[in-house]
Amino acid sequence: MSDQIKINVNGSEIRTDSDQLIIEACEDSGIHIPRFCWHKRMDPVGMCRMCLVEIETPRGKALVPSCTTKVSEDLVVDTESEVVKKAQEGVLEFLLINHPLDCPVCDKAGECPLQDQTMAYGPGESRFVEDKRHFEKPIPISEIILLDRERCILCARCTRFSDEISGDPLIEFIQRGNKTQVNTFPDEPFRSYFSGNTVQICPVGALTSTSYRFKARPWDLKKVSSTSNCSSMGCSVELNVSQNKMLRILGEDNEFTNQGWLSDKGRYNFEYLHSEKRILKPVLNNDSTNEISINESMELISNEISNDENSNISFIVGHNSTNEEYYALNNFVENLNKVNKDLNMDVYLSDDYLYEGFFHNSDLLGKVEDLDSVDTIILWAQDIKDNLPTLYLRIRQAVKNGKKLVIFGHTNTAMKELSDSYFGHEIISKNLEFNVEISEIPNFNEYINDKNVLAIIGKSSPIQNTNPISNLVNYLDQNSNLKLLNCFSKGNTFGALQNISLVKGLNEFINEFDSSEKNIVFTIGSNPVNSSIYSNQIKDKLINANFVVSLDLFKNETTELADIILPTTSFGEKEGTFTNLEMRTLKQNKILPTPGSVLNEWEYWSMMLNKIDIENSYESELELNLNLCEDYLDKDNVPSFDNLNKPSNLDGVLNSKSINIEIENVESGTLEILFVNRLYGDSSTQINSPSISMLGAERFIEMNSDTFIKRNLSDYTVNLVQGDITLQVKIKINNDLPNELIIAPLNRRGFRDIDTTKPYELIEVKNLKELSVN
Amino acid sequence: MKETLLLTKHMRAFPENSHNIEVYEKNNGYSALKKVLKEDNPENVINEIKDSNIRGRGGAGFPTGVKWGFLAEDEDRYLVINGDESEPGTFKDRILLERDPHQLIEGVIITCFASNIKKAFIYIRGEYAKPARRVQEAVEQAYEKGYLGDNILGTNLSLDIVVHLGAGAYICGEETALLNSLEGKRGEPRLKPPYFPAVMGLYNKPTLVNNVETISSVPWIINNSGKEYAKLGVEGSTGTRIFSLSGHVRTPGNFEIEMGKSFGEFVDTFGNGIKDDKKLKAYIPGGASAPWFTGDQLDIKMTIDDVANAGSMLGSGAVVVMDEDTNLVYAAKSIVSFFAHESCGQCTPCREGTTWLEMILERIASGRGRLSDISLLVDVCDNISPGLSWPPKMTTICPLGPSAVSPITSLLDNFSDELMKMLPTKIPIAQ
Repeated sequence: MSDQIKINVNGSEIRTDSDQLIIEACEDSGIHIPRFCWHKRMDPVGMCRMCLVEIETPRGKALVPSCTTKVSEDLVVDTESEVVKKAQEGVLEFLLINHPLDCPVCDKAGECPLQDQTMAYGPGESRFVEDKRHFEKPIPISEIILLDRERCILCARCTRFSDEISGDPLIEFIQRGNKTQVNTFPDEPFRSYFSGNTVQICPVGALTSTSYRFKARPWDLKKVSSTSNCSSMGCSVELNVSQNKMLRILGEDNEFTNQGWLSDKGRYNFEYLHSEKRILKPVLNNDSTNEISINESMELISNEISNDENSNISFIVGHNSTNEEYYALNNFVENLNKVNKDLNMDVYLSDDYLYEGFFHNSDLLGKVEDLDSVDTIILWAQDIKDNLPTLYLRIRQAVKNGKKLVIFGHTNTAMKELSDSYFGHEIISKNLEFNVEISEIPNFNEYINDKNVLAIIGKSSPIQNTNPISNLVNYLDQNSNLKLLNCFSKGNTFGALQNISLVKGLNEFINEFDSSEKNIVFTIGSNPVNSSIYSNQIKDKLINANFVVSLDLFKNETTELADIILPTTSFGEKEGTFTNLEMRTLKQNKILPTPGSVLNEWEYWSMMLNKIDIENSYESELELNLNLCEDYLDKDNVPSFDNLNKPSNLDGVLNSKSINIEIENVESGTLEILFVNRLYGDSSTQINSPSISMLGAERFIEMNSDTFIKRNLSDYTVNLVQGDITLQVKIKINNDLPNELIIAPLNRRGFRDIDTTKPYELIEVKNLKELSVN
Repeated sequence: MKETLLLTKHMRAFPENSHNIEVYEKNNGYSALKKVLKEDNPENVINEIKDSNIRGRGGAGFPTGVKWGFLAEDEDRYLVINGDESEPGTFKDRILLERDPHQLIEGVIITCFASNIKKAFIYIRGEYAKPARRVQEAVEQAYEKGYLGDNILGTNLSLDIVVHLGAGAYICGEETALLNSLEGKRGEPRLKPPYFPAVMGLYNKPTLVNNVETISSVPWIINNSGKEYAKLGVEGSTGTRIFSLSGHVRTPGNFEIEMGKSFGEFVDTFGNGIKDDKKLKAYIPGGASAPWFTGDQLDIKMTIDDVANAGSMLGSGAVVVMDEDTNLVYAAKSIVSFFAHESCGQCTPCREGTTWLEMILERIASGRGRLSDISLLVDVCDNISPGLSWPPKMTTICPLGPSAVSPITSLLDNFSDELMKMLPTKIPIAQ
């Protein structure tokens, strides 16, 4: 930590860290200095000149930008002098002379820093009689972002964000002087995973998003803080609702997680909430005309459950439930078991990347903020940029601040440029095993020996023997001061692990499913028939099951096989807690009414228990929350609603529970294809959110150029053929991949049926056309 | 009053081929370098420069020896020669680049020897195609003859020079914008602090940025000693300067004289008076950024301090003369238009303010002015350069914005009657 010093602002003394900027020191002491370009998460540029203040120098008073000037001992600052006021008024007038007067139709009006500061610091009237600067009114710069250059005040927040924070500088200033404008490069749209952040930090209405444009006025919005389900990072968000419709999600600055940023998936994946396709009443036999009441559905299900011939009840859970809902499910299982001891009940998590992980030693568990304090970051997991996008931003920041980054292949090639060492095919085989002894990896030891290391560790591929991962972790543990983040990326996975006594994987479901017995299967917010490499086998099992109940938002490939579909609530419609990948528990809040006859998952579990005359059911989220808090290891700081609502705990509470995962270590086999999850895919929430639905449509595979040449390809559009499957795909060249290993997106339409361990053919589409002509 | 030829001596003697290395060598060229290498004492070189009291010729007039002393220690340090001569009225570096490039290169090598620099860049404005070609050829000749590259003239000294052509932006004459441009970025001035070139310059390494004329003076200083140089001119403004004389004079051109004579004498002697025997109404003493002097101020001495004390600057040494028939409103508008066009667009007051000033002057010049425009002009200027004092305070990142203010304050301070003549006589009702 830096030293405390004292400075004098407007005649009063304040204490501050010696490495702070004037604007930060003043902000911390409650003295607001107006600004447009300065943003606390980005480097200062001193461009807008709104934050000018007077300081005393040996040569008299000087006007300096408070966003680029550091404090020093006994510095005398005046933020309110006549000179300062005149300068601020002047800057605002300069900004306004070319700013269009379209506030009445501007989305930003009402929450616009330019408006607010004009009211507070601006000139009363306009002296500008000349023509304003004109540009074509909003131009789309990507599928989801529009740019109005007339409104832009050229603060460089968006361009800096793209360059400094997200690392994809696809927007830049062009022209100069009075003609300066933000724009994209020709034929290169602003296709960034993080583009929505620029809309949020734009201090005027220059950048707008397709999903929010003209939908609401800020003063009509109802707002609540919550936690995003998008990834296991648990990003802090603010939900904006008007007339009972979710209209916008904004990032909130949580020092321990997203630091204000969101991925576009986390930001724009909400329109599905109000989709006409949502299931609003229980449905019988996948027949939409056959809607039944909740009571009827509960009768039917409890009758099935109470049947003495039952031998197995399986629960396949997804990652969008709250901790309270997982806890209620667990309570349901435990109580049912008390009544019927012969019943075999297991909970399976629908995530192909699940494995045992490293939970046995709680001293080993690291935190996201360790990124900022360790010497070296080791990464061997699935693609972070696609699956934990805001963690990716944190890693970028850490690297920018001098931390070493070492990546093991063959995923995360998008981060190779960021890394100090990327161990590709020379070190890691196609089957994700080490080609050499870990101790023999060139230059590896210098990154770790006696260093503070944070390892981000998980499976890179759904089919992967995890022994090499364990070997690496053991090696790191022996040779460095190791902390570790278990890299399960999806939603509230950690909440499921913490609150369900024993969690198994989908492979276990297939292996343990005995068709000769009577089986009931519940799928809960999961679509295993469309999201897993085991999808085909799971489909077979579900067809063979005696009774299938699906708790879900939409009809999908899994609900098609269900005897009863129970409609459930989603993000924003329920209150509860969420646990992120560092075991930080955060609050999720309800701001939307539940639609139709939709109930929370826990309510179904309670009702079923009631129907079969078992007590111990719960009556509210609050009751569940209080009960689940009892199992936390640290009793003094539990994530109860009360505790989480305290101002000091708005960033969440770190606490652990024992975690039990039972999963078989599979053989790697021979990987021909490496499946990855892309940020955008064909999940039912995304395809029912029109603004972003098209972003997950493209089907492409990646391979290195040698493979491309060896396979005698000349065109980038090919048919991928394996057995009966034919998929038209585009090829992207990625020379960081080993020979003959291609990367394919698991969460894009059509790919899940492919067997990654079997050979495939690539046939050029143009050849097929020629054939058909002949 | 006579010229004193130090830097232009060689090119005057050999008007056809002064840029040629053989001609340069035959006439004592590279002798200063050989002398320095023989003595092999960088400290001596720096002391000679300090003794000479030479001040930077780019405009700011900072003592060169002191600047060299500021250069922070680092394994990699750079010298950047600022040849982005773009100040309207200034054309002195052009002849030094075009007609005596080896004098500059010799100065560069000596400077790098003195400051332990292994790489130098000569940044030349984009429009100077021929000078850039000449410098490039000269650099190649110097490599061939062993004056550049590894082990210069058999010593341990190594130096590479890169010649870089700008892309046509005035602002790249501002040293930190120049460094951005050299790095391939937009030509925008950097923030000072923290980006003082001597500490965090090119590629964030300590960097010396010197003007062409400054470094071209180094060989003479080494050959003749700093004390000899300091005897020329007057205290505070030692040595000679090449003044670019233009405007309504009979014989415009570059003239190298010792500093200390009056502007009136200079204009009469070398410009041979005003064309058509008219009277001089106003003149700019140091390039378009400098506030104007009137015809009554011709006895101001041509030294950095005298001009500064009179409320302007000697700047880049460009003297622009305007005769009695000049419409000074048009003149001011012309200069403001230049700065509006050349504003980089980075900071608000300059980007918006210079263009606004241009628009107001344009309106007045075209007969659509209002009486209230005078107070508006003053206030907009004040919002760019608070207090309208000299040297200017500024709300901007760099001095380009305040530069656009100079002609307007000059106009209002001394020639407000000319402006009033172009405004309607009746006070509009709104007033």
